[in-house]
Amino acid sequence: MRDRITSAVRGNTDLVGLLVLLLVVLVAYQHYDSSLLDPASVTILSAQFLPLILAAAGQTTVMLLGGIDLSLGAVLGLAMAVFATYDAHGAAGVVTAAVAALCAAVAAGAANGTLVAYAGLPPIVVTLAVSFLWSGVTLIVLPQPGGHVPGGLVNAYNNGWNGLAVPALVVALVLAAWKVLRTTRYGLALYAVGGNEHGAYASGLHTRGTKIAGYALAGAFTGLAGIGLAVQTGSADPTIGTPYTLNSIAACVLGGISFFGGVGRMRGTVLGALAIGLLTNLLLFTGISPFYQLIVQGVILVVALALKTYLTREAAV
Amino acid sequence: MTGMTGTVRTEAAAALRGSRAAWAFGVLGVTWLAAILFADGFDSVANVRYLVQTASFLGIVAVGQTLVVIMSGIDLSVSGVVALSAVVCAKVASGTGGGASGIAAALALCALVGAVNAAGVVWLRVPPMVMTLATGTVLSGALLVYTDGSPSSAHLPLLDSLANGRLLGVPWAFVLWLAVTAVAGWLLHLSRTGRYAFALGAGEDAARASGVPLGATAFTAYVSCAVLAGVAGLVLLGFTGTSSLTMGNPYQLLSIASVVLGGTSILGGRGHLLGTVGGALLLTLLTALLISWNLSEGVRQVVLGVLIIGLLLVYARERRT
Repeated sequence: MRDRITSAVRGNTDLVGLLVLLLVVLVAYQHYDSSLLDPASVTILSAQFLPLILAAAGQTTVMLLGGIDLSLGAVLGLAMAVFATYDAHGAAGVVTAAVAALCAAVAAGAANGTLVAYAGLPPIVVTLAVSFLWSGVTLIVLPQPGGHVPGGLVNAYNNGWNGLAVPALVVALVLAAWKVLRTTRYGLALYAVGGNEHGAYASGLHTRGTKIAGYALAGAFTGLAGIGLAVQTGSADPTIGTPYTLNSIAACVLGGISFFGGVGRMRGTVLGALAIGLLTNLLLFTGISPFYQLIVQGVILVVALALKTYLTREAAV
Repeated sequence: MTGMTGTVRTEAAAALRGSRAAWAFGVLGVTWLAAILFADGFDSVANVRYLVQTASFLGIVAVGQTLVVIMSGIDLSVSGVVALSAVVCAKVASGTGGGASGIAAALALCALVGAVNAAGVVWLRVPPMVMTLATGTVLSGALLVYTDGSPSSAHLPLLDSLANGRLLGVPWAFVLWLAVTAVAGWLLHLSRTGRYAFALGAGEDAARASGVPLGATAFTAYVSCAVLAGVAGLVLLGFTGTSSLTMGNPYQLLSIASVVLGGTSILGGRGHLLGTVGGALLLTLLTALLISWNLSEGVRQVVLGVLIIGLLLVYARERRT
């Protein structure tokens, strides 16, 4: 039994460190807000964290392929703008708006993937250049903050629907879908192409197709995050997506996703996103000026990464 | 005879294909010609003067960015550094200190930020993209705390004449840009440090194995980049007379776009500083053209994005390895 635990710990050093961090944050959080584990708090917190978790899931998909998506914030803004400008009324309207927003985000992701796979341009350059493009499209769709999301939907999302934490459910569904996808041929191909592209190609995988599908999948995650953000705030803002680029990368880095592709797990990213979200809230509770939030975020990112590099180096020696 | 001209022509064509920096200037020339022919107001001396003046702000940042990109780094904190130098200089100058101490304090802080970036990359082994993104985030937070959200404005005669004045009809900002380019060009293409930077960009492990000092080279590159971004911030402060927390934001993406459009490989090890000058001029000209057509902000960004992607596809593709 003990052997099994030690071997599990050894295989997941990243996750264990992150779990300890998360536990510390949770204990501190409980100290300031004793209603932390009430169903109502879970609903509110999951509503608040869903956009970051899903955006980080999108970034993870791209990073597992060995890329990086600097246009994620722009695509998130695009999905948000499309969803809120549709001016949906009733369930059918909401579904149409959501489908339109998802289609826009998936198309943007697939376009990124095609440029990366076929044009021979590095992912960082492609996504940097297209971030102009997508934020421009967002500004055309929605020049000023505005748009409209049905009030019933906003209420159900933020305060629960018949006692169900809808956002937590959505995140769980997305994670379950990822879990299933991981066991398929495609999930294996995703890791293989990210880990060793030449090897994957030589073993007969369609590396370009895998990349395009991966970026499109990332677009779907990002689109869901954008819809979630629109529903959470009840309207859309064309520039609100920008910070999600950095925060999603930070969540992935905390969660142990490698920059070189092929290494890392989605559960790490989710824990990383949770840690970032809880820490941000915790700072608000402690009464420190919100101006310090950015400083703390940046410092945590560097410390986490430096610590990880240091620990893995020790292990390798 | 015809054979000889034929050989010369193929050689010229091969050289053109080989030199991406030449492409940047070629595209720049064609675009400028098109602008003079088809758009209003691009044929006047005043317009050329204004273009090179506004291109200087971007150009100075992009020269620094080139130094970092050549050694296969990247600096995403330049937007924060531009704002840092302008905000600090304005605050010190409008407070107790004079203009000179404001400028000195601003540039010293910028150098410190560059040193922190290099320290993170070299000693903590944090990937450059994450390290500089993180310092950029910390900087924007620190500026919020420092200014309490409301940065001050300042009128410094020295910076004002540097940004708006002219030397024999040429804007001082442009002269400064050329001087910066000359010094950086010497550093990158003629000095030992430059050779080290190219070696590190081409392959870090091989370069380190053959004795290239990673630390010294990285510190030179990142500190130069941050100081140049700081200089650009100071010139911008002179140009507008005010500082703002977001004034650096456009330069983050545009400086990298200038470097890449100038033919430097984002993966490092290949490129020329002069290409970046062409890239910065090209981006400024394209933006000015799009503004002169009265397009909305959104359409302008879409067109600029498509043009950048198109140009990159034409001449900045990486060879498949």
